Formats: sequence, C-alpha cells, structure tokens
Amino acid sequence: MAGKSGRTIVNVPDKSWKKTLLCWESMLVVVFILINIFCASISSSYQFSSVLREMPKYLTEMFLLFPMAYILILGEIDISVGAIVCLSATMTCMASNKEWPFIVVVLVSLLVGTICGFVNGLILTKFTELPPMIVTLGTQIVFRGIAEISLGSGGSVSLSNTEGFRMIAGKVGTIPYILFVVAIFAVIFTVVLSKTTFGRSVYAIGSNSRAAYYSGIHVQRIRLIIYTAMGFMAGLAALFLTSVLYGANTTTGNGFEMDAIAMAVFGGISTAGGKGKLQGGIISGLIIICLRIGLGQINMNPQLILIILGALLILAVLLPNIGGEVKLKKKTAAAK
Amino acid sequence: MKEKKSIWKTITGSREASLLIVLIILCVVISFRSPSFLTLKSISDMLKNNAVIMIMTLGMLGVLLIGGIDISVASTLAFSGMTVGMLLKYQKVENTFLLFLIAIGIGAACGLIIGLVIAKGKVLPIIATMGFMYIYRGMAYMIGNSQWASAENLGNFKNFALGKVLGINNVVLIMIICYIIFFVVMKWTKTGRKIYAVGSNREAASISGINTSNVELMVYTVMGTLAGLCGALAVAVYSSAQPNMLYGKEMDVIAACVIGGVSMTGGRGSVVGAFLGSLILAIIAKALPLVGIDAIAQNTVKGVIILVVVILNVITQRVMDKNNLKGREM
Repeated sequence: MAGKSGRTIVNVPDKSWKKTLLCWESMLVVVFILINIFCASISSSYQFSSVLREMPKYLTEMFLLFPMAYILILGEIDISVGAIVCLSATMTCMASNKEWPFIVVVLVSLLVGTICGFVNGLILTKFTELPPMIVTLGTQIVFRGIAEISLGSGGSVSLSNTEGFRMIAGKVGTIPYILFVVAIFAVIFTVVLSKTTFGRSVYAIGSNSRAAYYSGIHVQRIRLIIYTAMGFMAGLAALFLTSVLYGANTTTGNGFEMDAIAMAVFGGISTAGGKGKLQGGIISGLIIICLRIGLGQINMNPQLILIILGALLILAVLLPNIGGEVKLKKKTAAAK
Repeated sequence: MKEKKSIWKTITGSREASLLIVLIILCVVISFRSPSFLTLKSISDMLKNNAVIMIMTLGMLGVLLIGGIDISVASTLAFSGMTVGMLLKYQKVENTFLLFLIAIGIGAACGLIIGLVIAKGKVLPIIATMGFMYIYRGMAYMIGNSQWASAENLGNFKNFALGKVLGINNVVLIMIICYIIFFVVMKWTKTGRKIYAVGSNREAASISGINTSNVELMVYTVMGTLAGLCGALAVAVYSSAQPNMLYGKEMDVIAACVIGGVSMTGGRGSVVGAFLGSLILAIIAKALPLVGIDAIAQNTVKGVIILVVVILNVITQRVMDKNNLKGREM
C-alpha cells in the first residue's frame, strides 16, 4: 500500500478475514461461548430461563458500562458513579415513599443522577488542570455523604410503595423489561461511538486532546456532555436497582464503578485513552454476568468469585502485553 | 524590606508553609470551641487512631511521585491483618514481634507481585491495583473463612497498642520512625532522588542511567510492606481483625496525599507535605464532632474540603502564573 509520495500508508484498516477473526472482540465471543458451556457443565440449573430470571440483578451495572467506556476512551476515569447510584437510589426510595406519582419518581431518579454527573463535568471542564481521578474521588465522598445525611441514623430506607417498581420489573414472556432497555441503550451508545462525528471526536480527544482542540473539536463541551450522560445513566441504573432491591442503604452501589471499569477494560478498552470498542465491553460485560450467575448457582463463595474476576482482569491486560513484547523481541532478533 | 518580601514569598510559594498555617488556624479555632482538644492525651489518641492511614500515606507518596497509583492498599492491609488475627485465634503464633514480621512479609510479597505486574508486565497501575484490590480482599475473606477475630482472641497482642516507650505510645512511635526514615531517604539519598527523577521525566531518567522499572518495582513493594505493617497495627489498635477492615480507606490515603500537595502526575510532593496532609484530615475528622457537626455529615464535609483544596490550588497556581507573566512584561 504505497501512497503517491511513495510512503507506506499504515493506518488503512486491514479487513482480511484473518484479522477480523483474531481481533479482541471475536476472541471475546469465543470466551463467551466457552463460559456458557463451562457454566452449563458445572451447574445443572444453568439454563436459558434461569439465567434470564437472575439477570436483572446484574444488568444494572451494564448501564454504567456504556458511558464509562466513553470516559475511558477519553483517557479519563470516573470513580464517583457508585456514589451517584447510591444517592439517586436513596432519593428514588424517598420520593416513592412520599406517594408521589410514579412518573415523578422516575424523573427524580434521573434528575438526581444527571445533576451529579453535571457537577462532575462542570468542575472538570472549568478546572481542566485537575485530574478526573481526584475530582471524582472528592465528589464520590460528597455524593455518598449526602445520601448518608438523608438516610439519617438508620442508614437505610425500604420501599413502602412498590407499585410502579413492580411494573418496571415486569417481563414480556420470560424476557425482563430491563434487558430491552439495556439493549436499546447499547445500540444507541455503540452507534454514536462508532458511526458519528461525536464518537470520532471522543477518540480524537483520547489520543491527543491538544491536537483535537486545535483541529476545532469542542473538547470541553464534549467532556461535559459525557460526564452528564454518565450521571444520567447512573440515575437510570439506580431506578432499576431499586426495582430489584426494594430499598437503599449507605452501601448501595459500592464497587459499581470498579465493576464497570473492569468490564470495559476486559473488553479491550484502554484506560490510557483513544483505543477500544464498546462492542468488546458489552460482550465482556455479558461474560462477567454469566460467570457470576453460573458460579453463584453452584454456591461458590462470593469472595472466591471476586478473586477470579480480579485475576481475569489482570490477565486480560497482562497476556497481550507479554505477547506483544515477545513479538517485538522476535522482530528485533530477525532484523539483526 | 527585601527580606520581608522573601519571607512572604516563601509562605505563599511553598505548599508546606501554607499547609502549616491552615493547620495552626484549625487548631486555634478548634481549641477555642473545645479546650480539651489541645491536651497531650487527646493528640496522642488522635495520632494513634490515624497512624494506619498516616503510615500508608508515606507509601502512597512514593507511588504517586513516580506517577502511579495504588488502590489495593486497604485490601493488602486487610489480608495481612486477617492473617495475624487468624494466627492468634487458632493459637499458632503468639509472639508479637514474630506476628509483625509475618504481617510485613505478607505485605511485601503482595506489593512485590503488584510491582512485577506493573513494572515488568507494563499493565497500567490503576487496572493492576484494581484487580489486586479484588484479589487481596477476597483472600482476606477466604483466609478466615469469613469469620473474624474479636478482642478476646487476640490475647497479649492488643496490649501492643497500649504500651509506651519513653512516654510515647508504641503505635505513634512506629509512625514517627517511619516518617523519619522516609524523610531521610527521600531528601538525602540516591534512592529518593531516583524516585523524583523517574516521576518528573521517565525518559530522561532512563537515558541518564536509572533503571526505571526497578524503581517502580521498589516503590510498589515498599507500599505493600507498609500496608502489611499497618495490617498488624490496625489489628492492635482496633483490637479486632475483620475481613472488611478499612474498606474504601485507600481513598482517604490518596486524599491525604493530594491535600498535602502531592501531584497525581508525578514528580512533585514531599514527606512533610504528606505528613501535614494526613494530619489535617485526621484533625478535621476529630474536630467535626467537637464543633457540633453531626457525625453523619462528616463524610460530606471531608469531601467538600478535598474538592475546595484542589480547586483553590488550581486557582492560586493560575494567579501565580499570571503574575509571573506580568512580571516578564514589565
């Protein structure tokens, strides 16, 4: 592939079948199938219907994965989402207990999340020198702190008016509503990231934010939109989480941010920014959910599941790195 | 006149001096509201209860200085603390000194593994330590079979936190020793210089002959070692060992560093700053109930303070840059 000037053009995507078959996403599909076979072999109750029944509990974290993927591709991180889910779930329960109509409760849930995300975005775009890790660390403590204050000394609230929540926890046949909602958002976020100018700009900012700025991309506006979207999705996750848990306490949403980041990284999205596809994140999210359901069914110690997930996360990043280094060594040896 | 100006400049220019002023103002205000605050016993208690965070802040300082991050410290602490607790509960080891050695050894091993993955495996620190956060916390639960060791299981070991040498509580003494060692190493030795060099410009450091991946490995191992030590200390101070010990406190450690002026991008920060930062966090936690703020609101106040400190930092930096530019124009 030599260009007019005789230079080789390296970034024309190679679309041979070998490349598509060996890319990270198709490997993940294989892993996904293997995990399902593995789970079905260790647990006799691991069937399509039982997986669907247990799925809503875990699917809420998928909502957080989509915008988190955007943030990671920007080369940034948001560790406050678990706290946003906590605050939003608390407010949702309180609004519902006040016997407000369900549509208002839904609005409260989404609005609280969106405001929290907007605050994150506002601080980060007004003071661009600040690392996102520190800002979201601070807001994480504040958001969870506000939830603690509103929960009072008991530290928990349970849902007394469950009418509306029973409705959104419903099913079409055997498929729960939440699966449709997740699917819709998955399509929206994937298409926006891979097919629109907005998505391209996200990648551009992630690979070189200064270059993106000079080429006319509204870097700060895009960051603000993404952090606000993160908050909105956290509010949505809180709404569905409430429909599963029927309550909220000070530890609601603990570790959600880490789970969402783990899903994305396992899916091949680099935390250094500019690299990765949302499709990979979605498949790896499904892998982790299936693994959790399968191992949970054979009553495996939840702590052991945590260890397995942690090891998987590290191996997923470590192995390609080592493989790349070996290749590089071979290449330099051949050149010599 | 000239000298006065230079004093003023050192105060506004140096992070440590401005932190010290904040600290003094805090102490004065609090002791007005509650005279019992500035007594020796109250200060000693405060230091004892926060020694664990303050010691880990030192390790985190090293990690942040080379531009890394370690969010697995609380899990490493829980793992080593639970090992100590279980050894005591089933009466395998009773010697306090030996138990401390075991805890430190476990911490060092944990840190070494993290360091290898980051320095040799080239995994990003946030991802690697996130994975190990899960793994070590899980191991803390597994080792005790999800049980915990209460005060009566701990026997003589818990007396360590009550004992005194030269009138100073043992735990506080260990903390002071750690700070002195770190201060000397960071300021006057080759190792300390190397850490700063790697943090300010990795490539330049590598070209000038520093083995950057070894420095990285060392920093994470030291962090693990300190976390291991703190595991044993935490068991002694709180006289119980639970698998969910200090859950989420890694954020407090990072916050203490940031308040102390340690830069997240590496290369900037000092032991004195880390000390003052963690001390300010400790004093705030102690003072809020004294000045009548509900215990329930403490976290919110803490978070707001962290945000205000980092934002103020940016604003002063901007003003300083502007003034410098103006000076050049004249």
